[in-house]
Amino acid sequence: MKDRVIEVGYRRLPEIQAGPGHAARTIARWALTLAWRKRATKISLAACAMVAMGHALGIVVVVLLEAAGTFGGSTPLAAMSLNVDRIVGNTQEVLSSFVSAQTYFTVIALAVIGGGLIAEDRRYGAFDLYFARALRRRDYLLGKLLAAGAIPALTIALPFVLLWLLAVGIAPSTLRLSLLWLFVPGLIGALVTSAVLTATLLGASALGERGRTIGVVFVFGWLLLSAVGESLASNGLATAGYLSPARDVATMMEALLDAGPASAAAAALELRGSVNPSALLSTLSLLGFASLGLAVLVGRLRREVGG
Amino acid sequence: MLLALRGVDKRFGDTLALSDITVSLDGRAVGLLGPNGAGKTTLMRILLGLSSPSQGDVEVLGIDVRARPYEARARLGYAAEGPQRIPGLTGVESVAYAAELCGLGRRPALLRAHELLDLVNLGDARDRRVETYSTGMHQRIKVAMALAHDPALLLLDEPTTGLDPDSRDELLELLVSLRDGGGPALLLSTHLLHDVERTCDRCMILEAGALRFAGSLGELRRPNPQHYDVRIDGSEEARGRFVDTLVGTGATVERGRRAGVLDVHLVAPDPRVLWSAAETSGVRLWHLEPRAPSLEEAFLATISAEARAGTGPGGQP
Repeated sequence: MKDRVIEVGYRRLPEIQAGPGHAARTIARWALTLAWRKRATKISLAACAMVAMGHALGIVVVVLLEAAGTFGGSTPLAAMSLNVDRIVGNTQEVLSSFVSAQTYFTVIALAVIGGGLIAEDRRYGAFDLYFARALRRRDYLLGKLLAAGAIPALTIALPFVLLWLLAVGIAPSTLRLSLLWLFVPGLIGALVTSAVLTATLLGASALGERGRTIGVVFVFGWLLLSAVGESLASNGLATAGYLSPARDVATMMEALLDAGPASAAAAALELRGSVNPSALLSTLSLLGFASLGLAVLVGRLRREVGG
Repeated sequence: MLLALRGVDKRFGDTLALSDITVSLDGRAVGLLGPNGAGKTTLMRILLGLSSPSQGDVEVLGIDVRARPYEARARLGYAAEGPQRIPGLTGVESVAYAAELCGLGRRPALLRAHELLDLVNLGDARDRRVETYSTGMHQRIKVAMALAHDPALLLLDEPTTGLDPDSRDELLELLVSLRDGGGPALLLSTHLLHDVERTCDRCMILEAGALRFAGSLGELRRPNPQHYDVRIDGSEEARGRFVDTLVGTGATVERGRRAGVLDVHLVAPDPRVLWSAAETSGVRLWHLEPRAPSLEEAFLATISAEARAGTGPGGQP
């Protein structure tokens, strides 16, 4: 059977009724569809997956050793695992260090995927394409936030949940109870971290017109701020530590998960950096970064899109 | 009513971009004419609600744009000037995306996109990325994107700028087919008179932010009772006397567009001056007809001398 080509001409449409959030979901879906076509996206997400898998392995080791300590009685393994917390750490430490480490990889993934989310729209005059329709600024903003937010949600929040499920799943019942309470505070920390990354990236993207440049500036800025904060804090200016977003994330996660002192393994592998004195101030500092990003984004949209 | 503006001003700082525009227009295709900087794009953005007038009321399709901009935009399609695009998307994806943004579901949007790409004659390039498109293809994809949600009024800002003659012809043909084939009404902003002549039945002329004319093309080109095409018969000497007599009354006499025809512009709308001059100079009047100006002549007569100085051949600034 052959295809038949039928010229329809101009066809009138019945009245269109869009549900709430339709435009925002559409913007987010197309942004992610476009991002997925880039090889760099797949590579950066693969790197994030590797980090998650490494920590999954850590969870398995830690939980099994903790379980052996619980059930081993007087066996040599049990005797060894009595000090397991001090040697290889505990589940809280692994989950906390996962969020801290994954933040760096997510910064890179976000820079690759989302650097151009606003910038490229400005560069190619796409605002006219969007806002000449019955599209509100908030639809556009929400769509871009959904698109950018999907990345840390996928690389930080979701793996956190999976790691926690893995820990709870393989832990013996006596240990499981102590792991259950980690879920809510840990997830809150992961979500706050995701929100901060999303808002700061979009704020940066709203400042420029080239996605690649924005991406480089975002990664460089994140690293520079973290390094400067870290350096000043370690040289006696403790308050400067709050300027380091990486240090703030580590402080917040360790406090939320009650990770305790660093284990020997974590110290040897430098998995846990130094933290700020106050978790509350670190969290407020992170929320400050997020607010700044959002303010820049909203300000840019207000300036460029009238009506 | 397609659009109705009452006392619309638009200021950008100290610059008055639009000044006291009051007009009501209906019709299937309206041309928005004016030299560069006349305020055409500003007016279009006001009609879309993308820019607010400093004062005045704006209604498009009976909707108060200042009070209900989203409702108005839902019924408008806009193809802006310039190479706006969403890079990375193919032609069919661009149109489907535009349709989805306006509320269509994924499959209906894709179906609509294919239909519109056939309509704008981009069927063969539907799977190519838009950044590889030529200028003409860009213009057509923008029209397709603007049509995605079946607007009641399609606003086109300089759609033929930068196109080669074939592409321009194709695009104008498309606009005519939309106008005549049950598509949306058109508001075509351009400084190319030929485009308006070919596609529009009404037009507005803006100059330096002020409205100089609004009405049908027939009204714009209404024969001027001071302007005549005159063909005379007589000796060379008598013909010279005829011209001298007319010039003596203050009229201007030039060689007309056709051979043997004089283009006479009288001081007053009284053709008896011509009969009288013929009688005194001894020539016979063979042909006397009030002159209907071309669109270019009518346009030039409408705008001021300063704007005319910046307008090149063919009415193209």
